[in-house]
Amino acid sequence: MTGIKDKKSARMRKAVYCCVLSLLFVLVAPLIPYVIDAHAEDVTSSKANKPVALQHPGINLWNDVRQRNEVTQGSSQVIGVDSGILINKTGEDWRRFRMQMLMPYGAYFMAATITTIVLFFLLRGKLRLPGGRSGELLCRFSLNQRTAHWFAVGVFWLLGITGLILLYGRFVLIPLLGADGFSITASACKEMHNLIGPLFLLAVLALLVLYIKDNFFNRDDITWITKGGGMFGGHVSAGRFNAGEKTWFWLVMIFGFLLCITGLVLDFSVFGQGREIMALSHVIHGISALILITVSFGHIYLGTIGVEGTLEGMTTGYVDASWAKSHHDFWYEEMSATVEEQQGIKKDVASSSTKPASSPAGD
Amino acid sequence: MFEQLVDGVFWNIALIVFFVGVIWRLITVLVLRSKRIDYSVARNSGVSGAVMANIRGFYPRKEVSARIRLQVIAGYMFHLGLFVLLFFAAPHVKFIAQHITGFTYMTIPYWGFIVASEIAFAGLILLWVHRVLNPVTRLISKRSDHIGTILVFVVMLTGCMALGEASSELRVLHRFSVELLMVYFPFSALMHAFMFIPSRAFTGAFLGRRGVNV
Amino acid sequence: MSTPLERGVDMLKSQVDARVESYFSSCTHCGVCAEACLFYTETDDPRYTPIYKTEPLRKVWQQNFTLWGKLSSSLGLSKPITENDLSDWETLVYDGCSMCSRCTMVCPVGIDIAYLIRKVKEGMAAAGFVPEGLQGASQRALKFGSPMGLTTKGLLTAVGQQKKEHDIDIPVDVVGAEYLLMLSSNEVVLYTEFLTAISKIFSAAGISWTVSSKHFEATNTGVQMGDSVIAAQLLERLLEVASELKIKTVISPECGHAYTTFRWDGPNILGRELPFNVVHIMELLDQLRQDGKLKTTGSFDERLTYHDPCNISRRGGVLEQPRNLLNLVAPNFVEMNDNKEMNWCCGGGGGVSSNERAEPLRLQVFNVKKRQLDELDVTTMVTACSNCRTMLEEGLEENEMDVEVVSITELIADHLA
Repeated sequence: MTGIKDKKSARMRKAVYCCVLSLLFVLVAPLIPYVIDAHAEDVTSSKANKPVALQHPGINLWNDVRQRNEVTQGSSQVIGVDSGILINKTGEDWRRFRMQMLMPYGAYFMAATITTIVLFFLLRGKLRLPGGRSGELLCRFSLNQRTAHWFAVGVFWLLGITGLILLYGRFVLIPLLGADGFSITASACKEMHNLIGPLFLLAVLALLVLYIKDNFFNRDDITWITKGGGMFGGHVSAGRFNAGEKTWFWLVMIFGFLLCITGLVLDFSVFGQGREIMALSHVIHGISALILITVSFGHIYLGTIGVEGTLEGMTTGYVDASWAKSHHDFWYEEMSATVEEQQGIKKDVASSSTKPASSPAGD
Repeated sequence: MFEQLVDGVFWNIALIVFFVGVIWRLITVLVLRSKRIDYSVARNSGVSGAVMANIRGFYPRKEVSARIRLQVIAGYMFHLGLFVLLFFAAPHVKFIAQHITGFTYMTIPYWGFIVASEIAFAGLILLWVHRVLNPVTRLISKRSDHIGTILVFVVMLTGCMALGEASSELRVLHRFSVELLMVYFPFSALMHAFMFIPSRAFTGAFLGRRGVNV
Repeated sequence: MSTPLERGVDMLKSQVDARVESYFSSCTHCGVCAEACLFYTETDDPRYTPIYKTEPLRKVWQQNFTLWGKLSSSLGLSKPITENDLSDWETLVYDGCSMCSRCTMVCPVGIDIAYLIRKVKEGMAAAGFVPEGLQGASQRALKFGSPMGLTTKGLLTAVGQQKKEHDIDIPVDVVGAEYLLMLSSNEVVLYTEFLTAISKIFSAAGISWTVSSKHFEATNTGVQMGDSVIAAQLLERLLEVASELKIKTVISPECGHAYTTFRWDGPNILGRELPFNVVHIMELLDQLRQDGKLKTTGSFDERLTYHDPCNISRRGGVLEQPRNLLNLVAPNFVEMNDNKEMNWCCGGGGGVSSNERAEPLRLQVFNVKKRQLDELDVTTMVTACSNCRTMLEEGLEENEMDVEVVSITELIADHLA
């Protein structure tokens, strides 16, 4: 009996060691290329002093093919864009940028933002409504505005997640799914990203049309910015949108349209755009996407757990009057003044009349 | 194993449930329960009312069109897009010919397929977002409306994932989601795809007999 | 002995027919009907969404006539209807719906929502969930013959008075008359001019007609509260009187639901064809005009508009006749923006007018009519339903609007050649 138990526990120990070792391996494995690279550099630097006497006989030919530092067009039987270029020198630049700049710095950028938000939340907590709810509701976003917003949200994250998988998936998903599994995922994500992509143009256009009205900067925004948006205490006045919201709007517009244009260039490669344009588009596309995704973390935080009473403006369309007074007092005054004409203020219907006592619905 | 099931047994079950279910439900309406005779003296023909109502129903009345613009535009985007990509995209035509009808017919070019899918996706997402946001539709929507929407969305998404035709796993996933949809179809609000015809006809005949402009 | 709730649910079950089946099967809950409903557009309360008002019937259909519904209710997964549900829905179908059926016209899948609500009311009535106002009206109708409690004696007094005042002839209980004129109590008590006007027009046209002292009431509270048994009882009285007087054609007065009840729904409530024709007074007058028996002189020069009573236009198909008649005498007749089969209801149809509890809501939804009138800048509104007329007058008074409401028949009578 004990023998079997010993055997079992020995096997268990082995399994644990294996797990720990493989975990270590997974952690350490990515470092191996650095070590080898560093060594390789040492080797080359030590050999660099010795001049090479013999040239490879084909070196001129290959230099010509590779075209060194400029892209020249050869000729080919194949008809198509860039078909006269045998090796694209700029492709290497693009690859290097993607692997060594975009991916690591993008990751740092996102991680730093998330850390900042978490720290801020731990320090400051949820910004509560001063004096609680008034029960008086103000119409903040029309049904069309809300529909456009959530349509954009849906499309943005379908594209965001598939895009992030295409960019970073190899690090996270290959260990989880294996190379074959990841190849399927990547193919699926690429197709989804390409198909859903053009819808983002529709979303950005809808946001532009429906939200531009109150998003122009004015003098009040300077005060708002200098006071840090009231995030560190104190009251700051704002109109319908504060400077932070306006900035987010224009970021979405600028980078959103950049994403759309570059995305369309990449998606529909039937208009004669060559590799260089595609590579440039990809660079802009990646940077814009990472900027928007990162800033959206802040937007999501402030819209949900960061500030009490904000989310309902985008879900029900109505916000509590004390929320409006505390965060958008100029807008509140404006709404109160025009209440007679526009019926902008209404009683809290959600809690009083709208709900039936019991509903036979729901099956 | 799963692939064989999806291509074989599951597909046959889905096909039978779909066709038997739909036909059974249509028969329920058209034959079993239509015993009622209208004893009033008709002013105009009920049949022409029924036909007119089926045509008239395709465009919104001007008196409400401004209030329902989103439903109409997104509704048409989704339904037309889905119709085109379902029945005229080359892979679907090929599939239908192989597994159901046995003959092929005209197909749209690949770019047409892609454009139709994009329009359908935009319409479906808009309609569902609107369903959740509009207080009216939020109150009246049933679980089956949401399940139906999500199933159709999943079918379209897996179809889109399989566009690259890079692996059989993705094709199987698409086909499996289609089978789920087909089994769910006859017992849900998705039946409106067929039921709108008798429904409009009943009302059209009713109003037509009374001489009301349908 | 079954409980009221069981009676209600059984009644709802018995209401499921092919139309109900196809309607509920094709509803995608798109919410378009709400945008056509004055109770929703004027209150912004989603509970007034027309299809939502049919929930009790939908639930019964779902649980008893669909596979998933039967399955889930047998497993105890879906809750059956409770008395609470019925009492909640009582206010929705009786106070928050005037059965105007505007929603029916806009439904993308063609659901006749008014038809469904009428069936919901059957269930409500069977379970005893009917507003007091309507219950009282129907009891008075069964007992005295009219929902306002007007008796034969009252009618005869009114007839005598009109005869004396205006020197006109009002034939009562004439056997073998071609036409039997039915009246709504409103027209006997409130708008007595109507009887005078009819009498003038008919004697000018040389028509053989009569009113019945035994049963004169045109309205049918059974239909309004959704009780087919009461509706049939009241209809049988009409049949009895018509056969006694050997009537060929029954005239529906200026009353919306009386017309649809006699002309369209009555035969189906009774389950047989009626032994006489039914015409609305507008149809008859327009026929007289065509036959050259209705000659007018002079004109009414004020700017006026026509309010389509839902039951007469959208549910009854009498659309052009009142317009033809107006064009005879009113050169300044203008249409409201939404008219004919897409008119907006006065707010008092479907028994809402007899339901005192619903008055504040009814006056609130009148806003839509107010907006329509404000756009037109008219001094007079003409209609062909005395119930609409009362509701419009009340709404106008509430909003302090200076618009006079008149009946077409009276307008024509004033301009008889």
